[in-house]
Amino acid sequence: MSTGHIVGGIDLEVLRRGAGRPVLVLHGMQPVDPRAPFLEMLGRHAEIIAPSHPGFGRSARPKDFETVYDLVHFYLEFLDSLPHEKLTLMGFSFGGWLAAELAVKCRHRLDGLVLVDAFGIKVSDRETPDILDVFNTSPQEVERRSWHDPETWTPDLDSLSDEELVIRARSWEALCLYGWNPYMYNPQLKRWLRRITVPTLVVWGASDRIVKPAYGREYSALISGSRFELIERAGHHPEIEQAAAFVDTVVKFLTR
Amino acid sequence: MDAWWQCEVPYPFVPQEILNATDSVRASLPNRYCDPKVAADLFEEVIDEFLLCDDLGLNVLAVEHHAGINSLLGANPVLVGILARQTRQVRILSLGTLISLRKDPVRVAEEYATADVISRGRLEIGFVKSGGSEMASNNANPVNNIERYWEAIDLIKKALSHHDGPFSWEGKHFTHRHVNIWPRPWQQPHPRMWSATGDPETAAEVGRRGLVHVLVLRGPDGTKRAYAAHRKARAEAGLPKVTTDNFAYAAFVYVGDTDEEGLRVGSKLLWFLHTSLKSAPQYSKFLPGNAPPEAAPQVYRTAPRPGAGTGAMTAQQNAARLTSISAEQAMAQGILFAGNPDSVYKQVMEFYDKVGGFGHLSLVGRSGFMTHAESEKSIRLFSKEVLPRLREIKPVTAE
Repeated sequence: MSTGHIVGGIDLEVLRRGAGRPVLVLHGMQPVDPRAPFLEMLGRHAEIIAPSHPGFGRSARPKDFETVYDLVHFYLEFLDSLPHEKLTLMGFSFGGWLAAELAVKCRHRLDGLVLVDAFGIKVSDRETPDILDVFNTSPQEVERRSWHDPETWTPDLDSLSDEELVIRARSWEALCLYGWNPYMYNPQLKRWLRRITVPTLVVWGASDRIVKPAYGREYSALISGSRFELIERAGHHPEIEQAAAFVDTVVKFLTR
Repeated sequence: MDAWWQCEVPYPFVPQEILNATDSVRASLPNRYCDPKVAADLFEEVIDEFLLCDDLGLNVLAVEHHAGINSLLGANPVLVGILARQTRQVRILSLGTLISLRKDPVRVAEEYATADVISRGRLEIGFVKSGGSEMASNNANPVNNIERYWEAIDLIKKALSHHDGPFSWEGKHFTHRHVNIWPRPWQQPHPRMWSATGDPETAAEVGRRGLVHVLVLRGPDGTKRAYAAHRKARAEAGLPKVTTDNFAYAAFVYVGDTDEEGLRVGSKLLWFLHTSLKSAPQYSKFLPGNAPPEAAPQVYRTAPRPGAGTGAMTAQQNAARLTSISAEQAMAQGILFAGNPDSVYKQVMEFYDKVGGFGHLSLVGRSGFMTHAESEKSIRLFSKEVLPRLREIKPVTAE
């Protein structure tokens, strides 16, 4: 874990692992845990660059920087700051929304896109929410719907350090600021997904009940030539719950 | 000192087993448990109580809360409009339309100007920060709630006091390019404004703006601290000292013929704390923006570790403390003033001395299962036996 990567005046926490094809990882509702085993596994095949979004983790958030519009333009600057000619962009959950927005805007810098249980579009009718309202649902229910095996994976807040809890709360606050309304999607994004022309893999946890696989299939159908892969026995975080199967699927895509 | 009668129109008639089984009596409890016929009777009684206050010269206060058993006053401007027309002499404080929840402050200014005109200048405008379950009930982003609060106040104030044709507002949270409300308010430049808050940062801003600063059920220490933050901020900004007329306190109040009756019936008010505060964790401890992230070690764990976090009591912790309070504790902590008229006067004045004085007492006078007759009795006794004595206390410059 390192800080001190200054982009657009923002002091950014950036986690770096492994070597190989460059993969920019955009995290979901919480920053990537540096202890997560998928990093090590994927790092054998790829150079992982995983920043914490401004306001998440230990990354600064400037005053009045509080929309997905800001995040998307910030990551365009971040891409400009990277030496690689092309990268694969991988986004989890909320970060999947950012990845889709970026792929619409800067396909020339990308050689691939991986969306994992991604937010960002509206699929169902106006009275059917696609994405569980994590802010207005009981925390137990959010966890129950997040995991294939909630008993194993629900984090125990009592066991976290003070610093970990502060970071968790900080990220939760930033997520709310960016994603509250419209809730976790951009009404205009669906129309522009056709601009994504890079090879795309859409990966979904088969047991995800934060945002269901049917939504992922719809997402995939809107991106021409994209592949949809289910990870069995995984919920909203297949990279955590089924790290080996997840990395296997991603590596196959990277080395296609 | 002035006094104000308030009733939040709680709806206590949901079966206890339903309340026990639910994780929140606000925001998510289905409204099928609210019988509109019972609600109509409640409104009729409460409005009659406000009209009795008008007869007796006790000012009235209308609050706003959303989607819960604690209050049916989600649409505060409707009640304020009724009071503007149906009362004839007392002042009316709206405390208040929850402005950080409303999309258009200009519309709020129109409602207030209209009520001020209908009442021929008897309106006072209060602002409340809102929070908790009301963020869910109103789709309001909790993280920048306080920014919307101040910007909405600025816009409402300008809309009420600007009389030279349309002006434009392109703020961070609100845009309105053609503001020119009709009617303009009766009182010039605008009705007096109030703000309810306990935290030091907001209290300081309330002080700099010179709003009447009201503390609700905070007890002597929290109240004194907030008043002090108000005064200190004014001093630091080089603003003139304010009198006690800038300070208000809201407590449960019940006046009976005897101390025994006052305490027995007054204890019913604690239903508000015991029953109507129950709120699910997603609307309270895990609500983003509810407490600074630095407070998470104190807030997120099931049992906080000793010495963890910032040390300040969060709103939740304050709520948790109040949920189990007894009538005796509530009286000892200056949350409940109850007894015969002499006792109530004495309790109010003891509190007055502890906090360094205030110019307005708000009586949370009816809650829970208190009956209409019981409320009216307290209104009469307070107005006749206590209020004249409180009126003797003139504003003094607060140190």
